[in-house]
Amino acid sequence: MDRTSEFFATIESLRSRAQHHLPSDKRRLLSPIEQQQQQPGNGTPHGQHQKSEFTLIASMIAKDIHATAAKLTKLARLAKRKTLFDDRPVEISDIAKINKQIAQLQTQVRDQNTSGGRQQAGLAPLSKQAIEHNSNVVVLLQSRLAAQTSTFKDVLEVRTENMKATKDRREQFMFSAQQQASAFSSDSPLYNLDRRATSSSSPPKDVLSLDLTTPSQLQQQQQMEQVQLQDSNNQYLESRSTAVESIESTLHELGGIFQQLAQMVSEQREMVQRIDNNTEDIESNVAGAQTELLKYYSYVSSNRWLMVKVFAVIISSAVTLSVLS
Amino acid sequence: MAFMAQTIAERTQPGQRQSIEESNYVGHVYARAEGVAGVVIADKEYPTRVAFGLLNKVLDEFTTRYPQGTIAGASSSTGDSDFSYPELQQYIVTYQDPKQGDTIMKLQRELDETKIVLHKTIDSVLARGDKLESLIERSDALSSQSRMFYKTAKKQNACCIIS
Repeated sequence: MDRTSEFFATIESLRSRAQHHLPSDKRRLLSPIEQQQQQPGNGTPHGQHQKSEFTLIASMIAKDIHATAAKLTKLARLAKRKTLFDDRPVEISDIAKINKQIAQLQTQVRDQNTSGGRQQAGLAPLSKQAIEHNSNVVVLLQSRLAAQTSTFKDVLEVRTENMKATKDRREQFMFSAQQQASAFSSDSPLYNLDRRATSSSSPPKDVLSLDLTTPSQLQQQQQMEQVQLQDSNNQYLESRSTAVESIESTLHELGGIFQQLAQMVSEQREMVQRIDNNTEDIESNVAGAQTELLKYYSYVSSNRWLMVKVFAVIISSAVTLSVLS
Repeated sequence: MAFMAQTIAERTQPGQRQSIEESNYVGHVYARAEGVAGVVIADKEYPTRVAFGLLNKVLDEFTTRYPQGTIAGASSSTGDSDFSYPELQQYIVTYQDPKQGDTIMKLQRELDETKIVLHKTIDSVLARGDKLESLIERSDALSSQSRMFYKTAKKQNACCIIS
């Protein structure tokens, strides 16, 4: 008892009650084609639920594509705003996540569609035209999806450029107040440690990052990650550069100290010269005095006989004086 | 701890450095492009730059010693015996004091010591200046005294020739 056809028919009736959108034209296209060569037993209901299934899926895909287009336009408008400050990162991240979900849905549905197309070929031998039409619809949806992803790519590129520009402007502002820059750089290891600690444990909620995992958007993901990588590399390199700068300043101080030393020593050179002159004078004076004394000593030692005579005269005078008194 | 190290290492992209805080410790991880990653677990006081310098050095040596082919060929089940790296112990010992291990910090320390020595030198030079000034005064006094001595001697010779 093969009641699968009845089961499908009931499902399709429910579905057709639920949705009444775009599939109308596709149904019209498909139904005359399929009605031509259906088996007599299954006939129109089978063809109808076949075509309606396919058309319903196609309609869902088309709706999603339309919704993504709308969200993409919103994203593009937001990305173009180019503000220095708070450019609604929350909204953008939400929209990006929704976009990603939609893209995932689209890929899933696309795969379902291709498998559904194969199933239909297995279920009932459709005409060549029907198969061609299915493939055309699938190709159309794929092309629309590709266009969406390319626009998404452009928007993301614009967003990264804007973020880089904001970063540069921020750096300019920081650089103008150098004290701020030095204070920021001294705090930066701690600040960046905290940032990295929080970011690495959970998916990054930074302004700089969007949660992208779709396979067609690997390039943006790499760009974002490169920005993050450069950031973490920059922190390490900045810390190294600050250390080397401190070493350079120490060396500079050392050079100044050496110069001071040389100046003091050169001042003391004059003092030393004065001392030298003084000692030379002393030496000459003392040498002259020594010669004088030597002369006197030789005079005295050679003059002893005269001294005896002088003494004799004195003694005789002293004696006469005493005799007289 | 090994588990945390492994998870951190797996999470980092090649060519990226990260520091992850965990209870009392911080894990610094550096993944090189060749597929080798190193993790340094230290407390919060340890300077980040020293940790990454150590990681750089260790990974450089490791990649030079075991070229990339052998690393790629070895599966995770080979264990530590194939890639023996005894210098790690020594590194760990030397890097206990970050000022001792890291080259930049060593430079800084030596420069500071040199600066201290130079300060002492300048103080001693100032003291030398003081001593030189006193020496000048004393040599002046001496020279005047010696001149007086010379004059007296000369006068003694020239004047009346008493016994």
